[in-house]
Amino acid sequence: MGTKKTPQELLPGTLDLLILRTLTRGAAHGYGIAEHLKSVSEDVLQVGESSLYPALQRLLLNGWVVAEWGASENNRRARYYTLTAAGRKQLTAERAEFETMVAAIQKVLQTA
Amino acid sequence: MRKLFRRIRYWIHNWQGDPELAEELEFHRTLREDRAMGNMTMAREDARAVWIWPWLESVWQDAAYAVRTLRRQPGFALVAVLTLAIGIGLNTSLFTVFNALAFRPWPVKDPARVVTAFSVMKQGPGGFGIAEYRYLAERAKSFSGLIAMQEWNGAKLDQGKVSGLYVSGNYFRVLGVQMERGRGFLDVEDKTESPEAVAVVSYALWKARFGEDPEIVGRRIRLDDVPVTVVGVASRDFAGTSPGRSDLWVPLSAMQILHPNDAGVRDLLTKPNYCCSSVAGRLGPEVRPEQARAELELLRGQFFAQFKIDRRGAVLLSGTQMLANPGTKRSGIIPVFLLMFAGVTLVLLLACANVGNLLLARAAARRREIAIRLSVGAGRGRVIRQLLTESLVLACLAAGAGVAIAYWLPSYVVTLAAGPVGLRLKPDGLVLAYSLALASLACLAFGLAPALHATRPDTARSLSGGDRLMLRGALLAVQVAISVVLLVTAGLMARGIQRARSQDPGFAIKDVSVISFDLPASSYNGPRKHAFFTQLAREVEGVSEARQFGFASNTPLSNRRQVTSFRKDGESASQPAMVTFLSVSSGYFNVLRIPIVVGRNFEPAGQDRKVILINETAARRYWPGESPVGKTIYLRTPSEIVGVVKDAYTSDLSQIEPLFYQPIDGAEAPEMLVREAGLSQAVAAIAKRIDSRVEVRVAPLSENLDRWLAGSRIGATLAAWLGAFALLLASIGIFGVFAYVVQQRTREIGIRMALGARPGQVIGLVVGSHSRPLGAGIALGLLGALGASRLLVRYLYGLSPLDVVSYGVVIALLALAGAAATIVPARRASRIDPATALRWD
Repeated sequence: MGTKKTPQELLPGTLDLLILRTLTRGAAHGYGIAEHLKSVSEDVLQVGESSLYPALQRLLLNGWVVAEWGASENNRRARYYTLTAAGRKQLTAERAEFETMVAAIQKVLQTA
Repeated sequence: MRKLFRRIRYWIHNWQGDPELAEELEFHRTLREDRAMGNMTMAREDARAVWIWPWLESVWQDAAYAVRTLRRQPGFALVAVLTLAIGIGLNTSLFTVFNALAFRPWPVKDPARVVTAFSVMKQGPGGFGIAEYRYLAERAKSFSGLIAMQEWNGAKLDQGKVSGLYVSGNYFRVLGVQMERGRGFLDVEDKTESPEAVAVVSYALWKARFGEDPEIVGRRIRLDDVPVTVVGVASRDFAGTSPGRSDLWVPLSAMQILHPNDAGVRDLLTKPNYCCSSVAGRLGPEVRPEQARAELELLRGQFFAQFKIDRRGAVLLSGTQMLANPGTKRSGIIPVFLLMFAGVTLVLLLACANVGNLLLARAAARRREIAIRLSVGAGRGRVIRQLLTESLVLACLAAGAGVAIAYWLPSYVVTLAAGPVGLRLKPDGLVLAYSLALASLACLAFGLAPALHATRPDTARSLSGGDRLMLRGALLAVQVAISVVLLVTAGLMARGIQRARSQDPGFAIKDVSVISFDLPASSYNGPRKHAFFTQLAREVEGVSEARQFGFASNTPLSNRRQVTSFRKDGESASQPAMVTFLSVSSGYFNVLRIPIVVGRNFEPAGQDRKVILINETAARRYWPGESPVGKTIYLRTPSEIVGVVKDAYTSDLSQIEPLFYQPIDGAEAPEMLVREAGLSQAVAAIAKRIDSRVEVRVAPLSENLDRWLAGSRIGATLAAWLGAFALLLASIGIFGVFAYVVQQRTREIGIRMALGARPGQVIGLVVGSHSRPLGAGIALGLLGALGASRLLVRYLYGLSPLDVVSYGVVIALLALAGAAATIVPARRASRIDPATALRWD
């Protein structure tokens, strides 16, 4: 990984959540998702393809996203991922769970 | 579930790799020109692993690779699969029969709750009296129902014989048997005081004899000329509860109607100390077998006390599978199956040895491929797994073919050997599991050694071929040994039959005919039978000048026997000995040419029942060193021994046991033996004239001998087929090894020939190089055969287990096959052109 700062380790399952959230904005391809995460998080979340693509396959397997081939901005074939209804439901559920978790962690950090 | 579906769809789409994923990653990479991409392949593998467990995939890969490799060598694959398929198929077929016989419970509702009950007796497990059963059935609380069954010799239905069971009225209800038509019995139909002539027929009988008559219920049929009303047809799945075929069922009490002239029936149904019906029951809800057993014992104790019977009431409960039946252990069927299993297992081993040999030869051809795999870093375990997967694919294909064989072979052979039986001889889940387990074991047996061998770490040395030849030699020795065992077995059994047919059994078989008479049971009681046979004998005497006819309760080798207890004069009555007896007329000894050595024959007429004859063995056993003639013994009545008869193999071809002859009184239905040309037709005509309803059957006595030998003949045929197959496989094995030797040593042979070796010497060299495993195999096989022949003694009829002819023929046969299998490679060796050979390799 060279000289760059190592990307933050994500909590397990968080990446799936972030991808689902990203896809609420509309269909996107893998690179687009990675770029979006990177820019929104101001370069803190740099997701490598070795975690991004397994995560996408996992979402496909669970039926939370569907993939379709389409033309990209530079007119190449790219695979676009779209959120499904089941995916939206999953996002809501996971988000609530995540927030509970973060709040809990916060509490521990403040009181200990 | 949906997830599995998606996963399977993914597999189907991407089973040869995932181009979409590759393209996607490639797209990603082009957009990220800014920096290095990391490990692309790993990213792809990780992404794919989400879908497929990589292990499973690699197994699949191995299997696919194995199939491809096998398809490249269809000849090898075909030979290997066929060889194994026959081995597995024979084994599975035998298991199918065994499974049908031994493991299956009765075909009834919830069979696990149905148990059979046995009363424990000194001479083994037995049944219950019918009165005793009624007592128990009325009182036992731990059963939701107790049923009783009484074997029935069968009756005449129109022109044909049918067999069936007398059963208690609750039989169908307790067992939960579905009815195809009509109903089962009602309890009121099984009352001893008011018997009803009703019957339930089997589906098979309904189909075969009544053409699936939809109006069968209520129809009257005639059993032994007694009208009986059919009340139901059992469902197609219900094959009955006796090991034989059951055509129909009749209530126990109807025995009185079907045997109106047999005074014993009423006693059988009502007397408290009669024996023996089979009893079974369905356990009540939540009742443990132990509780039910205890209750039955308690009730039996009360029953015996009430009727002042001096017996203990121990009871045994077991499942309804034949294997669970305590009587099975005594019936001798298990050793027969073990022998057959030993035979087919030997064939399977042989097949494995052969395929192992083929694999070794193939490993030699693939050594480059394997060496490359090993040197580019495949672990040894991984390569072994690959090779074993190939073996497993072979074994599974063979198992498939084997199960196919097991689909038709058992019913074919069993029907051929025993006629139609009530067995379901189709492979079930257990058989399938058995054949798969067999295939896996076989795979290890033939695949592991070659795989270990081919992947040995010191590749350089293993390629030299020396060790490989060792292994092949060992396999060869095993093959030869197995062939010897099977062939010697076949030879001994065939010689045993030959001996049984040619040896003098001590009585005349040639020209003797057996005449049996079927008297309608409904109108013949004891005195009437006696009158019939007295009249018959008198009239036949009138037409027969030589008086070459006699009566007997059992004809020689008929496989039936009667046993009685007796004691000598002066012995206590409490310890009677058991002895086999025959009821015969005086003519019996003339017809069969059995001489009377001491004393006299029965007086032809005016017989008193107080005399008996004994055979020489009985004389030696019970009166050693003295003359038995004139002694008195106590059977049911005191009888005087008037003569000693020469020993004859009338009840068993392999041994002679003590035998008592009583004068026949004609109250049983005896069979008639005649040895005069044309007399049997005359007898038949006379019998018909006396009573036109009598059925007469005439058959040569040699039929009894043939029937007696049928078991051995089937055994010998089976062993011969197995042996022939073994010999063929062993020949192929021998051929393969020698061909390999010649190929390996071409260069050496070339040099020898260049230096002046003659072809004969070269052949000697090739043959000599591998005569050791051949010799070892033969020696090992002879030892094995000696062991096997000890088990076969029963079927050899006095033939020595060391019969020189059998062993000699087998060794000659093997030598011949060995020579035939070596000749081609040896000749090839002797024709090697030195110039070519030196450029070899």
